[in-house]
Amino acid sequence: MNRPLSTVAMIVVLALIAPLVLEWPHDEIDWNAVRAVPLTGSHWLGTDNVGRDLLARTLIGTRVTLSVAIAAAFVALVIGVAWGAIAGWVGGKVDEAMMRIVDALFALPFMFVVILLMVVFGRSILLVFLGIGAVEWLVMARVVRGQVIQLKQRPFIIAAEAAGAPPLAIITGHILPNVAGVAIAYLLLTVPQVVMVESFLSFLGLGVQEPLTSLGILVKEGADDMDIAPVGLLVPGGILVTLLVCLTLAGEKLRDRYSG
Amino acid sequence: MSVYCVDSLSIFLPDHAAIPIVDGVCFSIAAGECLALVGESGSGKSLTCLSPFGLSAGLASGSARLGGTELCGLAEPQLRPVRAANVGFIFQQPLSALTPHLKIGAQLTEAAMQAGATRPSRQDLTAMLDRVGLTRSEEKLDRYPHLLSGGERQRFMIAAAIAHRPKLLIADEPTAALDASLRHDIMDLIDRLRADYGLAVLLVSHDLASVRGHADRILVLKDGKTIEAGPAESVIAAPRHAYTKALVAAVPTLGSAAPLLPELGEVLLKAEGISISFQKSGWRSGHHAAVIEASFTIMKGESLALVGASGSGKSTLGRAVARLGPCDTGRVLWQGRALPERRFMARTDRIRIQPVFQDPIASLDPQWTIADIIAEPLKHLCPELSVTARMERVSSALNDVELNLEFGDRRPATLSGGQAQRVAIARALVAEPDMLLLDEATSALDVIVAAQIIALLQKVQRARKLSILAITHDLALARTFCHRIAVMHEGRIVETGRADDVITSPAHPATQRLILASRS
Repeated sequence: MNRPLSTVAMIVVLALIAPLVLEWPHDEIDWNAVRAVPLTGSHWLGTDNVGRDLLARTLIGTRVTLSVAIAAAFVALVIGVAWGAIAGWVGGKVDEAMMRIVDALFALPFMFVVILLMVVFGRSILLVFLGIGAVEWLVMARVVRGQVIQLKQRPFIIAAEAAGAPPLAIITGHILPNVAGVAIAYLLLTVPQVVMVESFLSFLGLGVQEPLTSLGILVKEGADDMDIAPVGLLVPGGILVTLLVCLTLAGEKLRDRYSG
Repeated sequence: MSVYCVDSLSIFLPDHAAIPIVDGVCFSIAAGECLALVGESGSGKSLTCLSPFGLSAGLASGSARLGGTELCGLAEPQLRPVRAANVGFIFQQPLSALTPHLKIGAQLTEAAMQAGATRPSRQDLTAMLDRVGLTRSEEKLDRYPHLLSGGERQRFMIAAAIAHRPKLLIADEPTAALDASLRHDIMDLIDRLRADYGLAVLLVSHDLASVRGHADRILVLKDGKTIEAGPAESVIAAPRHAYTKALVAAVPTLGSAAPLLPELGEVLLKAEGISISFQKSGWRSGHHAAVIEASFTIMKGESLALVGASGSGKSTLGRAVARLGPCDTGRVLWQGRALPERRFMARTDRIRIQPVFQDPIASLDPQWTIADIIAEPLKHLCPELSVTARMERVSSALNDVELNLEFGDRRPATLSGGQAQRVAIARALVAEPDMLLLDEATSALDVIVAAQIIALLQKVQRARKLSILAITHDLALARTFCHRIAVMHEGRIVETGRADDVITSPAHPATQRLILASRS
């Protein structure tokens, strides 16, 4: 755990490359090996209750979970940084209003909002991306706003104003580059949160749809059968926990460096 | 008999065991005596004071005896009771040296009990605060540190440092964060306590002139070595070493010869009836006035100093005039034409006045290279310049501030304070403005570096017929390059006149206080 980011990178590379070389794809049923135990033929981890290769499904699930997480964290980054930067830079009444909106959204039970969106618009992976991203930006907006307000007082910003730089040039040239470190740190902290939310939604049956899978779905299916086939719970669960711990550690390291 | 005796003390940092940071320093301090350690930042003066007591990262070797106890080589558990019983410390930043969540009374109680004394009564605590000249001491006991003013905090820190009746008081730049008149009061207080209680005082300062009249003996440190030591008056009046001579010469005094200043042209800038107020902080309603009806004029080629104690509104006024801060009422006329409000300043308006700020590192964007920083005003204020012409102007600006061209590729974090301030001046000059706004531009620098920056500014001022609006708390500094001085007190300009007239015949009590402070 000393190099959390390299562990994450290893898992990502495995999830990207391994499904290409595995004999069985994630959505094909091996009628000869339903509920097979590990190391049955070419099924290294065995198969699930309908005979699909568990290793392939775990790796595809990791892919799906991570891409949902990264996309949602990106949505959070864009909305959060823009919202926070505008509120912090303009200040005064605009800042008040914008931050009260953030407070109001914070007060909503956000899992409930995501579930509601699913019910209204139907299940789609895009909606999972957007729904999660749209609530995860709140923390980012607050952090960025605080940083911008601090930076705004700094002499180099006033010097840029004296140098005739228009507000947009000051924000893009001086403010955002100096906020970037903190924003990236919080981005890394957002990713594990999103992974959790996605897994939870999938666990409830509201996330991605079959035959695609995610770590959350795999953990749920594994939990159903954990008395007879514990590998089905332990492997996806282990990968999920490793990802969450490593990303959180990396995020905290970065945050400590930039917000001193 | 000496209270504290240091003999061939060397200090090493843990990861550089080969090179001593402080090398063979010797001194001793008797009861009731004050020794000043003087040197620029990085000379090892703070390490010399703190390391023998285990209060810094440095490892001390050699000998440091406090009342017969050898401190060097003593482990932390044995060091703690020695420190607690015999030594008091005063630091530069009173606010960061005090615990924010504890009330004054609680911190003073803790300080008094550190050497095993019984819990002091409320009367005892009040008496301790009275002793350091804090007014309304009874109610101050229930205040938090942030509610005190800078001077009050420093007085309180002294009270806490001597609460347990130490033999030795170590004062690490006790007045560097205070303005001139407060400096004077705090140094007088330390002198008085020294006489009353027979305290031995080890005073650390970067400013040779500021210890004059307070220290009995002076030890000048450079790069961790003793350069010169001796009785205070003889070191200051007849320094032997070239470095000490430079230190003495670097500090402007009110008595030094009048400088050669450029001639004046027509009226350049006229500020009329400027008032600025701020909303009171927290839940309190209402406004407090920072600047009230301030008016002044500056001619072409003229330098005007706005002088005042901290909180007198001089920085607020300076920024308002340059349209870099809020301004409620009043107008600023530039060659007879009114300057627009801050948000509507066009590039043709901005090009006239450029600022230089107090903290040189903080005034440069840490992410940018030096060349980009200097080119920024050109990019926005002279958009007609081609890229090559812009880079030529940047090179010549670096040249003007006596920096190597290689600096262009570096980033601010790799610069020293003096180099960073040169870059800030280059940025201010590159678009060829008519006027500079210097906001305490040298007060964060070491005395010798400050003197170099002043010399640079004088050169530029003469060469370009530049007008300067200088904001400072230091009258002697103002006199070195300013034609006229305007004294500010509680938001008003109370006195304006030729620099020499203001200094020789001050009319307002605030001016007289400032002069007294810079004489001490």
